[in-house]
Order: sequence, then structure tokens, then C-alpha cells
Amino acid sequence: MKVLKRLLKNPTSLTGIVLLIAFVVIAIAAPQLAPPPENSRDAFMIPRDGFSTEPRSPSDEHMMGTTEGQYDIYYGVIWGTRTAFRIGVVITLFTTVIGLLIGAISGFYGGWVDELLMRITEIFQAFPFLLAAITLTSVLQTVYGRGDANIMVYMARLLSMVTFFQSPTAAMDPIPMQILTGMLAIIVFGWMTYARVIRGNILSITEFDYALAARTIGAGPMRILFRHLFPNAVFPVLVIASMNIGSYVLTFAALSFLGLGAQRGYADWGQMISFARNWVPSLAEHWYIVVYPGMAIVLFVLAWNLVGDALRDILDPRLTGSRA
Amino acid sequence: MFRYIARRLLIMPVLLIGVTVLIFLMLSMLTPYERASLYVSDIPKRQGALEGIIEKYGLDDPIPVQYWHWMVGRKDEATGEIKGGVLRGDLGWSKVGKSSVSEVIGRRLPATAELALWSAIPLIGLSVWMGVIAAVNHNKLTDQILRVFAITGWSIPTFVFGLLVLMLFYARLGWFPPDRLSEWAQRIVTSGDFTRYTQLHTVDAVLNLRFDIFVDALRHLVLPVLTLSVVSWAFMLRVTRSSMLDVLRQDYMTTARAKGLAERTVIRRHAVPNALIPVITVGGLTLIGLFNGVVITETVFNFPGMGKFLADAALTLDVVSVLGVTLFSSFILVFGNLVVDVLYGVVDPRIRLE
Repeated sequence: MKVLKRLLKNPTSLTGIVLLIAFVVIAIAAPQLAPPPENSRDAFMIPRDGFSTEPRSPSDEHMMGTTEGQYDIYYGVIWGTRTAFRIGVVITLFTTVIGLLIGAISGFYGGWVDELLMRITEIFQAFPFLLAAITLTSVLQTVYGRGDANIMVYMARLLSMVTFFQSPTAAMDPIPMQILTGMLAIIVFGWMTYARVIRGNILSITEFDYALAARTIGAGPMRILFRHLFPNAVFPVLVIASMNIGSYVLTFAALSFLGLGAQRGYADWGQMISFARNWVPSLAEHWYIVVYPGMAIVLFVLAWNLVGDALRDILDPRLTGSRA
Repeated sequence: MFRYIARRLLIMPVLLIGVTVLIFLMLSMLTPYERASLYVSDIPKRQGALEGIIEKYGLDDPIPVQYWHWMVGRKDEATGEIKGGVLRGDLGWSKVGKSSVSEVIGRRLPATAELALWSAIPLIGLSVWMGVIAAVNHNKLTDQILRVFAITGWSIPTFVFGLLVLMLFYARLGWFPPDRLSEWAQRIVTSGDFTRYTQLHTVDAVLNLRFDIFVDALRHLVLPVLTLSVVSWAFMLRVTRSSMLDVLRQDYMTTARAKGLAERTVIRRHAVPNALIPVITVGGLTLIGLFNGVVITETVFNFPGMGKFLADAALTLDVVSVLGVTLFSSFILVFGNLVVDVLYGVVDPRIRLE
């Protein structure tokens, strides 16, 4: 509660919270703000008004204009909010769980287990993140293109249950499929910060007296881990998670921009901006195809970063109450 | 000190092998047919030709055996020629680049290097300077403005920033065009009269005393350099600021002031050098930022470097090319991190004693 109070007092984090609430409201009210057309099969596919390539400026009918292929930008920006939350939250969920497990095992058992897990972590960190995500996405898409059944398909099924609330027995829909490959790639290369922070945290806490006290009264390792160590690691993880949601959304948007993320016409901000690549010389007249979806991404990421930054300042005791 | 560096050096091969294993695991998710371009440039259409190739290069062998051949190469029984082999610098055949992957990387690297070099230099100087200013004026207006600048810069996707500056400075004002050179300059550069010493256009232009080309190359560099550096810029500013704030709280700062030193001297001689230590450690992260940024920046500005090649290859699912570029970049990154670690040990005696 004290944390929340301080978050609301700080002007920058207040801005972040207000922005986040606004995005949540937009995401919830999407069907009212931008009603999907009667006959639409998937509300996330942006309705088209004709098929001509040339983007059209904002008008009464299309508040933010239409982009190449006559996709309505306003509709895409509104429904894209849902996509952004889905992608950001689900990726964060999975990466946190993986990182927590690896970090906890590593920090708790120590010795060669720790050595091995930390080397593996370092190997994953040896890749430039975006490059690794691009690579794995293109591999996964090749694999899916053939429709082979393998372990990746099961992982994608799990992911689609969480992300799209899809029944596990239903056939995989090709539209979410492409998004899932990108998400899976980001998850595989995105868990390392959590693992390292959790490990460091557990190592430092086991030195403290209360862990020793718990051990002397005969508490088992699991009890110490779950009752004493995890609760102390919650806040640092919260800080990283809030800062990372923004960067996951950014990375996914970058994949979409390169043509590897969401499918053409899907309500995804990065995908919408990718159309602008064909209109660079005439961007001065077609400014709206970049500015509106671009603004949405920037504000979304900014909101998470502002909150994360403030949380870090508040939870880092070294930064409070000092003179400098 | 020696032990510290020795430990780093020992970990490095582990990392490098780990990177190749991970890359090969991704490769092994492909079918033997898709993997064939690791060894051959094009597969003849004849019946049975594919089976022949799969057999010849052992693309059906157990994964560890294949990994070994992928690393050291495989001898062609008929001609005695060794094909493939990452250790020999052979990363396979690129369908997109229509030549071997390593050749394409070699051809594309100078453009990327030029972009990265021009980005890195202003980046380091300016961000450190701004970070120090912010910390010295902690919680004052200057600090707040720089903080907002940093956090906004950190939140803007590279491609949005790139498209916005293109909109303003190219589409509207026409000052700075995309691509790497104008057509007329490209003709001169590729002609025989122009010696390409370094392949970096700006440097070569000066060496050839062609200042018109230097200006042209620079005009094409301004926007991509700005786009590439803005994210890392924001990041470095934040790191410098918080590290400087930490240092300013130390007791030796009070000691320095108590000695009667001027505030300027205290900051310059006592605070900044100490605050720079953590800044060096994030050098590796900045390198990652540059690698990531290069892919997007080069795509937005149609800049013919390694990143553009990766993006083109990924779009057509030319996986062998994609994996080749990623492997190459990771190797550079591992070496870069080693340099950073050693530097860290050199500047910070506390680390050496560990």
C-alpha cells in the first residue's frame, strides 16, 4: 500500500499509471469503440474498405484514415491494444515462470547445478536478443509451414490456450499461429534476466539470519524456498516484469514490422506500421499511416517504463532518503 | 588480475561452443532437404538428386554426427574437396544473397561497420556528459528534462523513430535521403578511378580526396546514425546518471570537499572517473543494442548492410542465411564482452581481488 501511495505521488509514475488505465479501458471497450462488422469471422482482422493500394487521409468515415489495402487505422489502433496486452502479458508470464524456476534452482542448490545453469543462461545471453528472436521465428515458421507434429506444436497449443483462450482440442488457426511463433521465440530468448536476478537474490538472502533461523528450527528446503525466499524476490521480479513488458511488446512489434510477426491485416501496431515501408517518399502526405499506430506503441511502452522506473526507485532502499 | 582474466578466457570457448550447439539445434528442426543448402548451392531437378545429396552429406545421420560435420566440414568423396564447416568459415549457401553466406557477410559488413562506428562515437561522449549533468543537478529541472528525454528515447521503437525522421527530413524537407549513396556517387565509387581502401565510404572519400562523395555519404548517414543511437543513448544516459548518483553519496566525496577542493574539481577528478566504471560494464549491452538496432535501422533506411540482409533472408525464410548472420553476430558479441570484462578488471581494482 505504501508503494502504491508513493507511485501515485510521483508525477512521472502517475502519468504512467493514468496511461495504463486508459489502455486497459480501451482494450476492454474495444467492441464498443470500434464495433467489428456484422459478418466478420475474427474481430482482430481489420475491416477493409475497398482494395486500392494508395492510403487515404483521415475523413468522417475513417477517423484516422486507411493504410495500404484500405485497412481502417482507427479500428487497428483500438483492437491493437488488446493484441499488445495479450502479447506482453503472456510473454511476461512465461518468461517469469521459466526464470523463477531456473534462478531458484540455481541459487538454492548451488555447486555444479548452479554452474551449469548459469553457463546455459550465459549462452542464451550471448545472442543479440532481436536477432535470436528473428532467427527462431523464421525456423519455427518453416517448421509450421510443413505442418509437422513435434514438441513445438504442443508448446504452441499451450500458448494458444493462454493467449487466445483456444480450446486445446480445436485445430490450430493459421492466423494466431504466426503470432505464436514470434511469441515463442521471444519467450525462449527472454527469461535470462529473471533467472539471474532471482539467483542473486536467493544467494544474498540465504546469508541472512532468518533463513538460518528457519533452518535451525527444522524447516525443509522447500518450506524455506517458498515461505522465506520467494516472497523476498517478488518485488525485484515485479520491477523487471513491468520494465520488460514494454520491451517484449517492442520486440514483437519489430518482428511484425519485418513481416515475421502478425499477419497482414491483423490488428497489431507493428504490422500496421510495416505498410509505411512502401510509402517512404510520400510519407509527408501519408503521415497518418505512421503517426497513429506509432503513437500507440510509444505511449504503451512509455507507460510501462514509467511505472517500472518509479517502482525501481521506490523499492531500491539505497535511493531513498539520501542527500544527493 | 591474472586469475580474473584467465577465468574469463576459459569461459569463452564454453560460450562459443554453446552458441554453435544452440544454432545447430535450431538447424536440426529443419528437414534434411532444407538443410541441404548448408553444403550445396542449388539442388538439381533430376529424379533422385535430392536423395543423393542427403546421402552424400549425411543429412540423415544422428544429430551429434551432423553437428560434428557442420563444425569441421565434410569431405566430398568424389572430388576430395571439403565442403561446409563453420570452423573453416563456411556457413553454407545463401539463397537470398545468391552466394555463400560468409561472402555476403563480408560484402555487407563494411556498411554496417560504418553505421555502427559513426553511431558509437557521439553516443558515448554525449550520453556520458548528459548523464553527469543530470546527476549533478539531481531532482532539479535539468535532471527531470533529461530523465524524460531518456525514458522517452528508451520507449520509442527504432522503426517508428526512423520513419518519423524520414517523414520530416526526407519526404518533407528533402535534406537527408535513404540508401547509402546517391546514384551518381555510387557510379564513381564503383568505377576504377576510386580506390576503396577500407570500404567505408566516408573514409575512402577522404583518402581519395573526393569531398563531394564524402558529403554525399555523410548525408546518407545522418538519419540512420541518429536512429541507431537514440535507444542506446537513452540507456547510457540512465546508467551514467544512476552510477554518478551512487558515487556522489560516497564518503570520499565529502573528504574531497572537506579538503577545500572546488566543486568542479571534485566532480571532474573524483566523481566522474569512479562513475564511469559501471558505464564500461554496460558496454556489452550497448553492443547488443547496436546489433538489434542495425537490423531495423538498415531495413527502414534501405541501407545495404548485414542487418538488411538478415531481414531480407528472414522474410523469405532463408534459414541458413539467417542462422549464419546470427552466429556471426553472437561470436562478435562474445568477443566484445570479453574485451569489456577485461577492461572492467583493468579500471576497477576491486574486481581483480575477487
